[in-house]
Amino acid sequence: MTTVGERASIVVSDLVKVYDPSPAWMKFLVRSNLKHSVTAVGGISFEVQPGEICAVLGPNGAGKTTTFRCLVGLTTPTTGRCEVMGYDSESEAVSVRKEVGWMPAEERALLMRHSVDDNLRFHGQMQGMDKDALDRAIAETLELVGLDGWGSSTCFALSSGMKARLQLARALLHKPNVLILDEPTGAVDPVASHELVHLIRDIVSERRIAALISSHRLEEIETLHSRVLLLDGGRVRYDGNLTDLREKYAGPRMSIDFRNPQAAADGAQALKVAQIGVVSQTGDTGLVCELKPDVAHADVLRILEHQTEDIVALQESDTPLHSILANVYRETGEATS
Amino acid sequence: MTTQAAGRRKPPGLLKTSAAFFRVDVIEEFNYPLTLVMQLLGIIVPLIPFFFISELVGPNSRTVGGDYMTFVVIGLGMTAVLTGAMSGFGSSLQRAFQRGTMEVFLVEPVPWTTLPLAMNQWTLMFGALSGLLIFGVGSLLGATYDLAGIPLALLIAVLGMISSTAIGICSAAILLLTLKSAPLLRLYSFAASLLAGSIFSVEQLPTWAEYLSYLLPHTYVINATRTLLMDDPGSFVMEPSTAIIALIIFNVVFLFIGFYMFRRALELSRKMGTLGGY
Repeated sequence: MTTVGERASIVVSDLVKVYDPSPAWMKFLVRSNLKHSVTAVGGISFEVQPGEICAVLGPNGAGKTTTFRCLVGLTTPTTGRCEVMGYDSESEAVSVRKEVGWMPAEERALLMRHSVDDNLRFHGQMQGMDKDALDRAIAETLELVGLDGWGSSTCFALSSGMKARLQLARALLHKPNVLILDEPTGAVDPVASHELVHLIRDIVSERRIAALISSHRLEEIETLHSRVLLLDGGRVRYDGNLTDLREKYAGPRMSIDFRNPQAAADGAQALKVAQIGVVSQTGDTGLVCELKPDVAHADVLRILEHQTEDIVALQESDTPLHSILANVYRETGEATS
Repeated sequence: MTTQAAGRRKPPGLLKTSAAFFRVDVIEEFNYPLTLVMQLLGIIVPLIPFFFISELVGPNSRTVGGDYMTFVVIGLGMTAVLTGAMSGFGSSLQRAFQRGTMEVFLVEPVPWTTLPLAMNQWTLMFGALSGLLIFGVGSLLGATYDLAGIPLALLIAVLGMISSTAIGICSAAILLLTLKSAPLLRLYSFAASLLAGSIFSVEQLPTWAEYLSYLLPHTYVINATRTLLMDDPGSFVMEPSTAIIALIIFNVVFLFIGFYMFRRALELSRKMGTLGGY
């Protein structure tokens, strides 16, 4: 084991994972649709420090889950290395799994016919906790996630939001130094999801846990105020905070309301010809312009100077995160191709 | 940097891991009481036709020692014990795959090579109880046992359970890769039901099949138990000492092969990225 000092809790170095088709002899046992090798992760590196949340974003197939599975030793890297608290995920997987609180994407990963208490008790026993410590930890953790009083309830009777809290409780029960949460709010309604994200943020900060979270809900990532790691096609497209991401990839955004549909269509045509960015129509008379970073609001007004009497309202606004991500994928995709 | 409690704890040993899985299985099984009752009935009811068959066979059948009821009860009882040991890990594994809990089990800090034994406990115990139930109900239906032979019969049963567990681990290794079905276990079960002589004497088999039957631990367990518990085990006598030596050899070989296959299957499924998934 490498000595752990002030170093990062999670270290991923040049991680590559290529899925190969099954060996020929296995085709007698199970058929596979994988005919050619597929690169799920194409050489990514990052670190996560104690107390830091790193949100891993990316479309399906970006390599998020494969990276998480490599970190806990469920999948073997083709090349490269994953370390958790100084332990190598491949050769010291048992030690790694002691340090990690794992919350899988599927809510059915819980023991559905068992009580909330029994779900946690099983996990605590697997973690080597003795009975007294386990009793205390169960009570504390249930209170922490807002499930105190629900210990005797059967798991399948809980709402999706409560099941997500129970999964979080299970991940936190043994006081791990690292949390890996794979789409923790996937099956949860927006209100419960908002509460869960706040809870995760507070716990990570209070306990100085290093957390990796994947999510498709971009508003959650904004709530977390976390570092963002954008993956696409198994590669890191961006690694940094949201503010820098906005500065780098979000151009100014303008909403324009015209007096009539014809004026809106003329305006859209003029802006598209000028290639100021992405122009989309909202309703019959509205336009939304996501401007390139080097295009200013004044440039738009200059392009529309012959139509100023047709403009009813004009408003500057923040670019939504999904548009920023689309820009990142478009630009970095173009750069790599 | 804050180091939390996780790093200071030792992972649980095999006993604690087994106890935790056993508790989970017991809670699970007792959640479906009718299924449990039907399972028990499914063990007892097939004995009843053999009561009438034993009346039909009568005391004159030399190959079964003149007491077919005792002969068949020992055959079925020991088969139930061995089947429990053999199928336990595979069925637990398949249930965990289908329910989506396998990945979570695998992320626990327990050496994966302990899982074949830890996840087998409930079925192992249920198989042993089934065997006892068959012996008990068989006794009510007229089977008689030589009580002096029980200690050695228990030893043979335990050795047989170890062999069967090892065969179950080989089968589970394949299951780990295919995530469904257990072809090896089915193949062995077919062979055991045809060749081990649970309801008829091995001596009635063609000579080539009789030789094949010596490759199955079931043959040694069933027939040595008959030698120990029956006054007259029939024309095919398996000496307990022969059975014990053979079972020890089977255990060493099968355990080695079983754990080797399981480790290789773990490595391959980690490489293929299918470990824990369904």
